[in-house]
Amino acid sequence: MKKVYILGGAQTDFERNWTKEGKGVIALLKEVVFSALNNTNISLEEIKNLNKKNKIAIFIGNFCAEYYIQQGHLGPLLTEVSDVFYGIPSARYEAACASGSVAIDAAMTKIKAGDYDIALVIGWELMKTVDSKICGDYLGRAAFYEKEAKGIEFPFPKLFGKLADEYVKKYKLDENRYKRNLAKISSINYENAKRNPNAQTRKWFMNEKQANSRGEATNEEIGNMLSISDCSQVTDGAAAVILASEDYVNANNIKDKPYIKGYGHRVAPYLFDKKIQESKNDEYILPWTRQAIVDAYNRAELTVDDIDVFETHDCFTSSEYAAISCFGITDPGKEYEAIENGDISFNGKKPINPSGGLIGCGHPVGASGVRMMLDLYKQVTNTAGEYQVKNVINAMMLNIGGSATTNYSYIVGKESIK
Amino acid sequence: MDIKTVAVVGANGTLGVGVSAIFASFGDAKVYMVSRTLEKSNQAIIKAGKSVKANSIIDNMVAKDYSEIEECIKESDLIIETIAEELNAKKQIHETINKYMKNTAIASSITSGISINELSKCYNEENKKRFMGIHFFNPPYNMLLCELIPSKYTDKNVENDVKEYLEKKLIRKVIKVKDGPGFLANRIGFQFINQAMQYADEYKNQGGIDYIDTILGAFTGRNMSPIATADFVGLDVHKAIVDNIYANTNDYLHESFKLPHYVNKLIERGKIGAKVDDGLYKYSGSLVYDIKNDEYREIRKYDIPFIDKVIENFKVGDYKEGINVIIKDKSSEAKICRNLLVSYIIYSISISKQIAENKTDCDIAMAEGFNWIPPYSLIELIGKENCKEIALNELKYSKSKVKEIFDEDIAAKYRYEKFMKAKR
Repeated sequence: MKKVYILGGAQTDFERNWTKEGKGVIALLKEVVFSALNNTNISLEEIKNLNKKNKIAIFIGNFCAEYYIQQGHLGPLLTEVSDVFYGIPSARYEAACASGSVAIDAAMTKIKAGDYDIALVIGWELMKTVDSKICGDYLGRAAFYEKEAKGIEFPFPKLFGKLADEYVKKYKLDENRYKRNLAKISSINYENAKRNPNAQTRKWFMNEKQANSRGEATNEEIGNMLSISDCSQVTDGAAAVILASEDYVNANNIKDKPYIKGYGHRVAPYLFDKKIQESKNDEYILPWTRQAIVDAYNRAELTVDDIDVFETHDCFTSSEYAAISCFGITDPGKEYEAIENGDISFNGKKPINPSGGLIGCGHPVGASGVRMMLDLYKQVTNTAGEYQVKNVINAMMLNIGGSATTNYSYIVGKESIK
Repeated sequence: MDIKTVAVVGANGTLGVGVSAIFASFGDAKVYMVSRTLEKSNQAIIKAGKSVKANSIIDNMVAKDYSEIEECIKESDLIIETIAEELNAKKQIHETINKYMKNTAIASSITSGISINELSKCYNEENKKRFMGIHFFNPPYNMLLCELIPSKYTDKNVENDVKEYLEKKLIRKVIKVKDGPGFLANRIGFQFINQAMQYADEYKNQGGIDYIDTILGAFTGRNMSPIATADFVGLDVHKAIVDNIYANTNDYLHESFKLPHYVNKLIERGKIGAKVDDGLYKYSGSLVYDIKNDEYREIRKYDIPFIDKVIENFKVGDYKEGINVIIKDKSSEAKICRNLLVSYIIYSISISKQIAENKTDCDIAMAEGFNWIPPYSLIELIGKENCKEIALNELKYSKSKVKEIFDEDIAAKYRYEKFMKAKR
């Protein structure tokens, strides 16, 4: 099978509130698309040529613009960005918070099939059009709305709070130690975000003590064990990556670009309670999340030992906690080891989320999968600036939708080194 | 540099609270908050926790009054004076600091009006080396700018250590500036604001204050129009800053620092701005002061077509097209707008060259201290040739001045997009 390369991309500054700036989706897309083209040196002329040959397509990841900005039919929006996009096949892909990953998957598949040489993948979400309670209700549509979200205030913190409860129960963890571990995860993500010039929280204050002050007025409890410091934020933003076929890379003499070495995509039972029921006798609490990662390792013919940096879906600290063993960094139930011994810290052996992750960098839901892929690209090509991890050859991401219902994993790495 | 204990003298003022919170949170330092009464200090501690949205830092702060100032100074690695802008009162504090500070401690003042060299006279030969101005901006949690102002005696190594501490530990954006009225950011920012106030006077027949604020609205690269900004800062504070600059500098825009008569009149009547909900605007009633008729009236929504065209373009991310409307539109309003923008660029760079380390430091000053479009980003947006043309033909600058400002190609550090709002 031929390889799918990543040529580069761009993300918007996740600190920005586009509603407050008075701007909408076209401004957002214009900025991210032209930044991505600029980053990859792809000219408008080149896009026209590719379009003439029917060798370029556009893949949009977005969760629920229908609610946030009253806009559906998102594929053709780029025709409003520039007439250079007239005629280019373009459609929207949706899998809740994993919408970006499913868009990447579609793009990668079409390139592998030989249909297209260049795929422009854009993930975006504008969420600050509504207040946090309404936002929470909209996000509830990523759960089984009727049973898990309807009429419930902030359904997702509650679902991931349940995950925390189940974790403590299943592995007989000391609850206070577990909560301290979650606080550590939060403060690492905030600290990492300080190095990322596009991170939403780069100016915010958070440390372990504050993250451990759950129940205080400045760190309210929101879902069982979880408090505000355990949650990712409501974010506006977009991210884009440009994928290319092996033929295109060779024909244009493009050197030193990483490629997608493997992926995994698994879907777990929709309802959270059924997830727990199903995994009762499994060593993993989220076996399908683990399986998506195992699939990626198998397809890439790599193991956890080959991965130098991870980007994970820390929509809540409890989801990052679970990801540690799913990645294979520790055995399930032993995640605390990697947190307490510093392995997942920026300078640790297996750094997770040097970007700051969803908690630190921000979580515009439809953009997150693409943002993670862009960060893997940056880490592997040594272009992550101040948040560059040393000596990265392979990088892995985990992007989930709902309560770990859709699970996507990718491995990105350098050429010719296993 | 290890700063474990900080004393903030004058801790109950707005800046005192904000700065204490930064040291107690990012700095994780023990902060002695010294104000006139323990009650005030205790209130300041609560406010400080709120200002960084983290009550966990409250344990790091200790309420003190002036009866215990000696002990606080003796124990501190860094002492910050942030009392009211009165020379004699400040001198008294600095003499006390000089008397009790450790021989490794750093002493500083957050003044925006008083000369650092003047205050340094309060220190003995050794302590002089460890005294400097550290100018924070309000509110410090959101505004990252820190102006570092060494006196002529400040030790270079100490200065660099403090800079590194502010940048690394407190995540501040630090620029080193020479001692002088208003330093860099306020000199540039308040020039623009005061000039807008003068224009309001000149155009009082057209509507005055809200007319000029509309022309220089959010779409010109800021969150809030300039004259409304003065109202929020407080007209008394505004007056203190521009009067000081007017009295002690003499640059080519000297007259633009002269406070308009109508502002003085309002201050005399106690109408000092948003903090008393009565100033140039009255926010509760959406009223504005009408200079011509000396009375308040409803804020007008002016029919100025060029502004709508600019906003329409910015809304969809067409920044160049939007700015071109400002450059090319024939209305007198568009002319005022582009002239003040280009004048802002030229003044920023001129002053930056004089008092900062790099002429591009004005970008950091305006982005991080005011949240305004940085001058070099604005050049990139307007285009150098357009800037030159406006400067020569409309603002009547000399060819040599225009050459001096615009001839070198400098890449802007900040992208302009986020500053240019699609709003009035």
